[in-house]
Order: sequence, then C-alpha cells, then structure tokens
Amino acid sequence: MSKASVPVRIDRVTKVFKDVRGKADVIAVNDASFEISPGELVTLLGPSGCGKTTTLRMIGGFELPTRGRIFVANEDITNLPANKRDTATVFQSYGLFPHMNVFDNVAYGLKLRKLPGKQIKEKVMNTLGLVGLRDLAERSPGKLSGGQQQRVALARSLIVEPSVLLLDEPLSNLDALLREQMRVEIKRIQKSLGITTIYVTHDRVEAMSLSDRIIVMKDGLIRQIGSPDNIYEDPNSKFVAGFVGKVAFFPVEVLNIDSTCTVEFNGTKHELSKFSEDLQVGDKAVIMARPESLKLLEPTKGIIEGQVNTNIYLGGSLESFVTTEQGEILVQIDNPAEKKIFAEGEKVSIGIIPNLVKVLPDKDE
Amino acid sequence: MIELFTSRKLITFFLISAVVLVALFWLFDTIKDSFDRIVRDNHRQLVNVVVEAAPREEEDIENWVRMVNREFTEADIIYVRGVPGWDELEIYTHNDRLKAFFEQHRDTPDFKSGFDSVYYLENYYSRLDYSFDGKRVSVVLSPLITEMRDDLTGFLVFLMSAEAGKNFSRLLDIFMIGSFAAFVTIYFISKFFRDPVMGFIILGLFVMVGVFVAYPLFEAVRLTFISEGQFSMATWKTILSSRHYLEALWGSIRLGIMTASFATVIGFIFAFLITRTSVKGKKFLSTMGILPVISPPFSLSLSLILLFGSNGLITKQLLGWQDFTIYGLGGLTAVQTIGMFPIAFMTLSGVLQAIDSTLEEASLDLNGSRWKTFSRVTFPLAVPGVLSSWLLVFTNSLADFANPLLLGGSYRVLSVEAYIEVTGRNRLGHGAALSLLLLLPTLTAFLVQRFWVSRKSYVTVTGKPSTRLSDLVSRPVKYVMLSFVVLLTVFILGLYGTIVAGCFVENWGIDYSFSLRNISEALQRGRAAIVDTFTLSAIATPIAGLIAMMAALVLVRKKFVGKRLLEGLILAPFAIPGTLIGIAFILAFNKPPLILVGTGAIIVINYIIRELPVGVEGGVATLRQIDPAIEEAANDLGADTPTVFRTIVLPLIRPAFISGMSYTFVRSMTAVSAVIFLISARWYHMTVLIYNFSENIRFGLASVLSTTLIIIVFATFGIMRLLVRKSEHLEKSVSF
Repeated sequence: MSKASVPVRIDRVTKVFKDVRGKADVIAVNDASFEISPGELVTLLGPSGCGKTTTLRMIGGFELPTRGRIFVANEDITNLPANKRDTATVFQSYGLFPHMNVFDNVAYGLKLRKLPGKQIKEKVMNTLGLVGLRDLAERSPGKLSGGQQQRVALARSLIVEPSVLLLDEPLSNLDALLREQMRVEIKRIQKSLGITTIYVTHDRVEAMSLSDRIIVMKDGLIRQIGSPDNIYEDPNSKFVAGFVGKVAFFPVEVLNIDSTCTVEFNGTKHELSKFSEDLQVGDKAVIMARPESLKLLEPTKGIIEGQVNTNIYLGGSLESFVTTEQGEILVQIDNPAEKKIFAEGEKVSIGIIPNLVKVLPDKDE
Repeated sequence: MIELFTSRKLITFFLISAVVLVALFWLFDTIKDSFDRIVRDNHRQLVNVVVEAAPREEEDIENWVRMVNREFTEADIIYVRGVPGWDELEIYTHNDRLKAFFEQHRDTPDFKSGFDSVYYLENYYSRLDYSFDGKRVSVVLSPLITEMRDDLTGFLVFLMSAEAGKNFSRLLDIFMIGSFAAFVTIYFISKFFRDPVMGFIILGLFVMVGVFVAYPLFEAVRLTFISEGQFSMATWKTILSSRHYLEALWGSIRLGIMTASFATVIGFIFAFLITRTSVKGKKFLSTMGILPVISPPFSLSLSLILLFGSNGLITKQLLGWQDFTIYGLGGLTAVQTIGMFPIAFMTLSGVLQAIDSTLEEASLDLNGSRWKTFSRVTFPLAVPGVLSSWLLVFTNSLADFANPLLLGGSYRVLSVEAYIEVTGRNRLGHGAALSLLLLLPTLTAFLVQRFWVSRKSYVTVTGKPSTRLSDLVSRPVKYVMLSFVVLLTVFILGLYGTIVAGCFVENWGIDYSFSLRNISEALQRGRAAIVDTFTLSAIATPIAGLIAMMAALVLVRKKFVGKRLLEGLILAPFAIPGTLIGIAFILAFNKPPLILVGTGAIIVINYIIRELPVGVEGGVATLRQIDPAIEEAANDLGADTPTVFRTIVLPLIRPAFISGMSYTFVRSMTAVSAVIFLISARWYHMTVLIYNFSENIRFGLASVLSTTLIIIVFATFGIMRLLVRKSEHLEKSVSF
C-alpha cells in the first residue's frame, strides 16, 4: 500500500436538491471551494444539515454537483461515477454486506478487480491485521460489535488502495470509550499510509484531535477554514466561535480601529489587539472570550459584576460558573492552587485577558 | 443522474444524430423506391396484357372496354378516341366519375406529356399520384392501334390502385421515425447518463408499461367512444339506458355488498379468535383462514355444484329437494364469501395485532365490562381496518369472473356480461364499456380506502407486542365463536374433499361407483392445456420476478422525472379487473403495429403485467429495510450497476424475489378473467378447460383438472416456504 498521495480540489461546488413535490428547492451546498494537500487529513465540521455529508458524497460520486467541478490528483472527476473513482468511503452506517462474512466483505473490491485468489487472501489477511481483526475473518458482520464492524468497513475501503479516503461520521455509532480508541487508530493508519483523507463529523472534539485542518460549515456555506488552534483561538464569526468551543460574548460598540480595536463595554473603553477585519467604526460588535481568557477579580475590579454559582474542581483547572446580567458565564482558572478562589455565593467581578480575546461582528449565532 | 452537458458532447451528439437520420432516410427511401418499381412493373405487365387483348376493330372497342371494366377490379379504364393534338378527343366510359376525372386532368402538364408519348406510340407512366374515389391511383396512358386505320385511333387511360404502395410507405415512415427515435433515446442515454444501465432499465420499464398497460387501456376507452369509424356516444348511450346492462351493474354491486359484509364478519370472528382469545390450535385455525384464498378459480363453485346443484349429493341424493337451485345470488354470495373471507381475515388480524392490548387491559382494570371494553375500545380502534377490509373484499367480488361465469345462472353481473358481449355477440365496444363501468366502483373503493380510511387509522405501533392476552369475551361467547369457526373449517375442508372425491366417481349425481376413468380421460384430453399453461406460466415467472425486482430498485433508490407516473402504471393492473385487461389486450394487439393475438406471447405478457404489482410491492417493502449505504459501498468499491444488482441487491431481497415468483407462477396457472379472451386453438388454458368441462356437465373431468391445479398450487407454495426459510437469517441481519 504505497501509493503517492494526491491533492483534492473543490471548485465553486453547489448542490441543489430539487423538491419533487414542487415546494422550495434546498440548497445543500452553496458555492463551496477548498483545496486539500496530498496526505492531509481535513475535517468537515458543522451541525447537522450544514451540507458536510453532501459535500463528501459529491467527492465520493454518490451525488452530482449542480454546479462546479471536483478534482482529484488534478484530474476533473466531476462526472465520473462512483465505481470509476479512486476514492473509498466509510459510511456512517458502515454498509457492510450482511450476506457475506468479514473476509468476503473485505475481499469484495479485490474480487471485482479480478485478482488471483491467493493474492486476494494474502492482502485481505494483511489488511485485517492492520485493523486487528485477523481472527474474525469467518464471522458474519451481524455477529460483530460496533467497533469491529467499523474496522471491517475501514479495512474494506483501505484494501482497494484508494487515493482519497472519505469518512462519513464513522464514529457516531460507537460509545465514548471506543470512539476515543478508534480515533487514535484512524489517525495512526492514516498517517502510516499517507493517504489524503476527508473526515465528516459534527463532534468538535473529534475534529480538533484528528485534523490537520478543519473546514467549518453552516447552512451549506463554508464559514472558516483553518488549523484546529487557528479555528479555536481566532474564529471569524460568533457561529464558529460558539461551535468549536465554550465561549462568552460581551456586546460592545466599536469606537476606533487602527492597529488595535477600541471598544466600549459598560462605559469602559478597551483596546484589543485581536479583531475581525470586517469591523468598522460604529458597528455593534462582541468581545469573544473563551473560559480560559477570563479571570475572576474582586468586585468592581473587572468588566462585569456577578456572583459565583457553582465551582467544579477538575484538578489541573477549576471551572467557575458566574451569574451575571449577561447570563451565566464560565470562567476557567488554570492551576487553581496558585490562584485566589472565590467560594460559591461570593460576589466577584469578571476580567478579560486582553491578548486572548477577540472582537467579532455581532452577527448570527 | 443526468450528467452535466458540455458543448463538445452536445455537438457530437447532434452531428451523429443527423448523420444517422440522413442514413436512415436514404435507406428507407431506397426501400420505398424499389417497392415502387415492383408495383410499376406489375402495372406495366397488366397494361401490356390488356392492350394485347384489345380488339382490332374500332367499333368493338367500346364494348370491350365496358367488359374489361366489369371483369377487372385492379384497374379502371377510360377509352379516348382521337389523336391528341389532331382530333377532337371523344371519351368513352361507363362511369361518369371516370369521365369527370379525365376532364379534370386533361389540361395538366402531366397529361399533356402523356398525350405526347401516345402520339409517338409509346406508353406513358405518370410519376404522379392521383386521387380517385378517395383512393390513391397511378395513371397510365397507352396508345391503341386498330386495323382499319392501321394507325393511332385513340388511347386507353388506366387508373390503377396505388393503395398498397401508400400503405407500405406509411408503414415504412412509421418504422423510420420509430427507429430514429429509438436510436436517439438510446444514444442520448449512453452519452449523457452517468449510469446508462439504470437509464436503460428506466427506459425499458417506461416502454413496457406504455405499450402493455397505457396503450391497451387507451384503446379500450377509445373504442367505447367510436361508432362506425366516428366519434360517438352511441355505445355509452346504449349501455346506460338499457335495463339489461344496468341490471348487470346493480347485480355486481349487490353481490359485492353481500359478499363484503359476510366475508368481513367471518374474517373478523376468525381474526378476533386468534388475536384476542386464548383458544388452542391457533396455528391450524389461521392456516384454515388463509387456505381458500389460494384455491384455483372454479374449484369452490364446482364443489358447490357437486354438493348442492340440481344433481347435487346433498340437495338431491340426501334431501331430495326438487326446486332448490344453487345458481344465482345465494350460491354466488356463498362461494365468494368462502373464497374471499381470508382477505378480510388477513387484513383484520394485522389490524387487531397492531392494537396495543394494554389499552384493553386498562379498560378492564377500570372496571369496564368485557362487552364495554370491546364495544368502546377494541372495536372503535379496529373500525378503519374493518372498513378497508370490507372495501378490499368488495372490489375483489366485483372483479371476480370465474364464479359468476359458472354459478351465475340467470343472475347477471358486469364481468360476465362483458365477456358475453365480446365472445358471444362480437360487440367489443360494449364489452369494453361494461368492463370500464366495472372499474368505477373499484376505483371509488380504492380511493376511499387510500384517502379516507388510511387517514383514520388509529393503529398504535409500539414495537412491543404485549405477550399476555386476557380473554376479551366470556367463555360461552368464545365457544359459540369457536364452534362457528370450526364448522366453517369443516365445511371448507369438505368442499376440497368433494372435488377430490369427484375425480374417483364414475358419474357424479347418477352413478357413485369408484372409477379411474375420469382421471385418464381428463389427463388425456387436458394434456395439451396442462402443458401449455405450465409452459407459459414457467416462462412468465422468472421474467416477471426479475422485472419486479429491477422496478422495485428503481422506484426505491432512484430519482427521476415521471417516477410517480411509472409507479402508477406498474401498479395499476392490480386494481383493474382482469376482464378489462383481457378486452383491452385483444383490442390493442389484433392490429398493426403489434399483432399478438393468437400467440403464446400475449398470454405471457398478460401474466407479467398482471402479476408485476405484487412482486414490485414485495421488492419495495424489502428494499426499504435495506440500508442504501450497502449498495453505495459496493458501487464505491468498483461494482457497476448490474454487478451491484447481481452480487448485493438480489441476494438481499431474495425472500421477496422468491415469493414474488411463486406468487406469479400460481396466479398465472390459475388465471381466468383476462386469459379467457386471449387463448387460441394453439395456446389453451387449464382453467378455461375446467370451465368447458363443467358447462358440458362433465364434472368428473373438471374435478380432476381442479385437483391437479390445487396440487400444483400447494407444491409451489411448499417449495417457496423451504427456499425462503433458508434465507431468513438474512432478513434479520440486514437491519443492523
């Protein structure tokens, strides 16, 4: 399984699902463009109905774009049917063949390629070894656990040595522990094969821990493309900020923009270095703050007053839920042993760590 | 599934289509030309023969022309005396219209050049077509030389029929347009569809239902509005104003109401006993409750005649009744009720099972009496089910043809009336109209079922069938019901026993001594019919099975324009009475372009069309339970559509495939209502032979053939059970 890694390119792809009964058409994917480098693992992340699975299915050849082109290895494959594409999909529901045992499931693609029986056997056993299922070759898929079924599906896709591996929420049917295990497994296999991979999920932790880059989608639109840390620390909208992690928003007004952005909150001016480029003076905006970019101070010392509601001690950190006039705000205190802790019921003030927060336009959720 | 169009592809497409069109045009033009030449050669010979025979004396010519015109039907001849250009032309003909024709055309350039040829003593064959008496004719001018002058005295004008040539070239045009359309469609699909195989399957299905469902039905409807070649409401006026036909309509409806009511009551008792009480032998009872539905046509009627007919075992031999008759409404209601209560039973036991019995327990718990629980809880919940079962039996009763045919006597129903109109009185239009009339109540019932009853359904699907069932009726009531059901079961078994007994009796009604004579005679006389029926059914079965599965796949998995239309046309024959389909088939396929009447093919096609709906429904139900990702995975791994169908879909829907095929086989073997119109001397049908034997009071022979059919039906279902059970593990593992 040593094949040169290939790039994937989506060029202004739109998919409209025509409603048969004459109601409104649904735009599942709206003018999406992105590029994936050879060997990269990219995640399509978004809430359900955002068009991420449709995008994947168009790359796999199960849906045809209404407009736009798709390139794999710089070749236009837009009109190629699924069976002629060098992509392999692992389906959310696995789609194992229930009338075949594990061996025959995995061997299916090779049999279609008319390989000699001996070679098929060798390759199947090797691939089953890769996913740790060598002993279960004779089992029927109905008698496997969810995790084992998942591995069979993965083996069945990998054995045909695809240029691009497409994974459609592959872990959503597994329990939490197994999910974490499989995540590591998939990452290991993907890196060892160097195979260009597109991974669809709605689980931000999964996306963060697996991906080289994340593409965040909503309502058919690509909202942001970037590395996990980039997306987390430097989101371009309230939606992305909220979708990839816990966050608090403080409504402000933009007073001045030069190399920094000056905003006013509760009558106090703040000069912040991170801000969205679409902002203009006079705009309504928000300060986006992660729990770890907030701190607890004595009353009146911070930007907003409140009262500690609950403290959750997590060892390396402490999570304080503070009730304020902006609702409940989570403040994460790292290394709590070194810091002053406010007890539940105490009055506090929340302060921001200026170089960690970002000013975003006050649009959409 | 249509690929994006690129301008290069479109240009090639149009270029190649244009080239093919030109090639086709050239080809068909050549064929037309050579046909034309043959026709003209024939004309030439005819003209030569006639002119050779012309008298040499000028005064004889007129008489001779009259004689020739009388004897010859191929041509009309005008005799014109005088040399064109020199003399005044005198026209001699027996027919004023011929004269008028000549006068009308004599100054045309074509005739002028004809005159020139004649002047030089040459025959002139006009290249133009003329119309005479509403027919197409070719014109030939031939000079006449008489002895007296030894020179040109005049000439003959031949008007020869060109109708054959016209018909032939029209047929060629149809073929040319047809083959060009076929080429363009096929080429379009293979060039622009991402999945051409699927495109061809969809196209094939459309063509199939178009030609064999829509077209015949259209022809049937059309014929009812045509009288003496023109649009007219005459047929409908006759039908709707004649007492005779209205009586048949009312007869059908009255029989339907009676049968539906009795069958629903019996079906309900059966279903209630099995789903809501704790009687023993439920398995046996439910088998008995389903059994009659698979009995071949005529068999129950035959048995009833053997027992209660004018020479019946019970009525004559045991009771000695004189003026009792089983023929008519009473006998029909009885036989239809027995034959159709299983439909009600199956529907209602499904409905009763789906009603969560915890509701009843709650009512009993609240100190409701059993009767109150039944009348206030169980029955109201079952009402939509009761209604739909009533409607289902009603439509089945209306469509029934075999029982009224044999047992109707003087009681008239529409289906039989339509049959008599077509076969007895040769009035196809009346037959078509009557069977269309039959469609009205059927359609009404279907629509009521679809849009009213199904919406009122209160069935609660909890997915957890409750295991404990408390008896909902008191012991005495239960035993009254049980004894009724047992009595009915015994009676049904008795009916079957009678048919079997009928095989071994010398002459039923007169001589009850044991004999094998009937068996040998029936098998000898019926051999051809048995072989025919078996062969045709065996051919139809795998074809119908495969088409059904492909249609199911297309309907469940593919999106395309006109899908609902296709679905409707595929499923329509299920709701259309067989009589109408039979009449529609003979109307549509006894004339060009498709002449099939009299062949075995029309019977096979009829089987396939009529049995497809059940196979498709089964396939659709099974496919809906199968995760589409399974097929997508196979496709993704490199399998094209046919491979996916062969290696994945077919193995997974095997149970539906097998049961669809056995159903088709059994229903084909036992078909009557449509097939009776389509049989011919070459291809006969067992069921029709049973009818013929019964009509000739050869009940022994009819019994033997009925028994043979019963054995075939049971054997088929037995084999199906074995095959399906073996693949049951699949059904369970499909939905993980």
